[in-house]
Amino acid sequence: MRANLAAKSLLGVLVLAAVIVVSRPGASYSHQDRESPLAAASKQHPAGTDALGRDRLVRVSAALLLSLAGAVAAAALTTAAAGGVGVLAAFGPESMGWIAMLICDVFLALPWMFLLMIVRSALPLSASPMNSAVVTFLVLAALGWPACARAVNKGAHNLKSSDWMLHARAAGLRRRQLVRTAVPNLLPVLLPQFLISIPAFVIAEANLGAIGLGIGEPLPSWGGMLLELDNSPMLFETRWVYFPIALLIIVLLLLEAIAMEA
Amino acid sequence: MKAAAAVARWFARTLAIVLLAIVGSTILVRLAPGYLSDAREIDSRYGDAVRAELSAEAARSGTLTHLLSAEFLGWMRGDGGVSRQYGVPVSELILPRLEVTGGLMLRGLVLAWTLALCTSLLSSAARKPSVLWQAPAALLLAVPTAAMATLCLLAGYGGPVLVMALLLSARDFKFLHHTLRKAWFDPHLLQARAQGIRTHRLIFGFVLPSVRSQVCALASLSIVTALSALVPVEVIFNVPGLGQLAWNAALNRDLPVLLSVTIIVALAVTLAGLASDRPGEWRSA
Repeated sequence: MRANLAAKSLLGVLVLAAVIVVSRPGASYSHQDRESPLAAASKQHPAGTDALGRDRLVRVSAALLLSLAGAVAAAALTTAAAGGVGVLAAFGPESMGWIAMLICDVFLALPWMFLLMIVRSALPLSASPMNSAVVTFLVLAALGWPACARAVNKGAHNLKSSDWMLHARAAGLRRRQLVRTAVPNLLPVLLPQFLISIPAFVIAEANLGAIGLGIGEPLPSWGGMLLELDNSPMLFETRWVYFPIALLIIVLLLLEAIAMEA
Repeated sequence: MKAAAAVARWFARTLAIVLLAIVGSTILVRLAPGYLSDAREIDSRYGDAVRAELSAEAARSGTLTHLLSAEFLGWMRGDGGVSRQYGVPVSELILPRLEVTGGLMLRGLVLAWTLALCTSLLSSAARKPSVLWQAPAALLLAVPTAAMATLCLLAGYGGPVLVMALLLSARDFKFLHHTLRKAWFDPHLLQARAQGIRTHRLIFGFVLPSVRSQVCALASLSIVTALSALVPVEVIFNVPGLGQLAWNAALNRDLPVLLSVTIIVALAVTLAGLASDRPGEWRSA
């Protein structure tokens, strides 16, 4: 419990710091300081600049905010979809449940990375960076629900066969009323699923970006910044290129700690 | 008789899943907003008339029925269709890479399972769970595969097998530790330990058989995780396998290749489900 609180507080501090950095006057993640590419840490650029002279601290902060916002939104969507499908499959007619679980199996048979690549590769060539970010997280949400739906379905089935639910059915409650009563009781299943999805989506976006299929430039993303590590001469210029990956690992550890406690 | 019916039911379901995966992937590709766009359409060297002709040609050959029939015909012929990028049958591209990917996955899985089983057996048998065992696994889980591969490459230490093994073993350790811990502290095992039965007999005679079904399920999950990690690992280490082929196809919009690789992966994942105690279900049917 104490670890959970510490993780939440630390994550809150990081997000607050990122907001402050991004909203500083003159801070821009895409502004190129042509006079100082690959600059070391200085008062003007506390974490140095990248190969195009863009402030690394601003870009990392923006990537943190974008990645967290996208992952939280995608996790909320995926949990809602999984909740809907899981409950429908458990409380609906048996054939509907069978079809829903078959669809889950079809999705589960296709690993995320391949589906993501299919959809990402078929995006219009002229897609704007913001559109590529929205599509990336939407695709993550669209592909992430089946495993979660299976867990919700199991929880809903357990609820359906519980004593109080049998009593409610015997007392003549309609299906809709049963569902309305059951959904709040599924929160202990839905909340961990939501919290587990967030780091999973952050990792998926980073992996996708690192192979060049993630969020388009100049929008900063974890994956895009991992690509900096491919630039060997840059690694000898400044050790600050490791800053994004170090922060990403810290954020993921905090998210995992929060999810574990749930 | 019941067992035969159970096998038949499983086979029908597997077939349905693979067929639906083929149809679903094709529909997904066709409905994607940029499916009909071609890199040549934004190339200034081509005139307006050529670009219009390219768009019209793409629209003609890009109907859903055309795509689905081409996909199925390709699979019926046994060549998986023709690559848009290389102009050769997809099977010619896939077959040599299957061996490379299979070898990489096999070595990665064996190393991962050896690591995970040994560490989880040691950590779960301890009286109190130690942070010393948990911390490395938690840290490894927090590093994206691509980052881990890049760091290994930069450090000049380790290769694709090691990255794959580290990723898988961290995931497997997390589950195995909990499962084995429960098994170690079962009352009958506590009594067996108190009676002084040797540790290796306890492990092979009691602990491992009691967690067999969970271990089998975890093994099939490992295969799915390994397949997902395949793309970044093969791309970053420049391994000429299926993951690299799929990535290359994605960058060049070679959808016949991408679809074929996806279908092979779907087939592999579905068959991996066999490991998750289906034989046990059939025996008890």
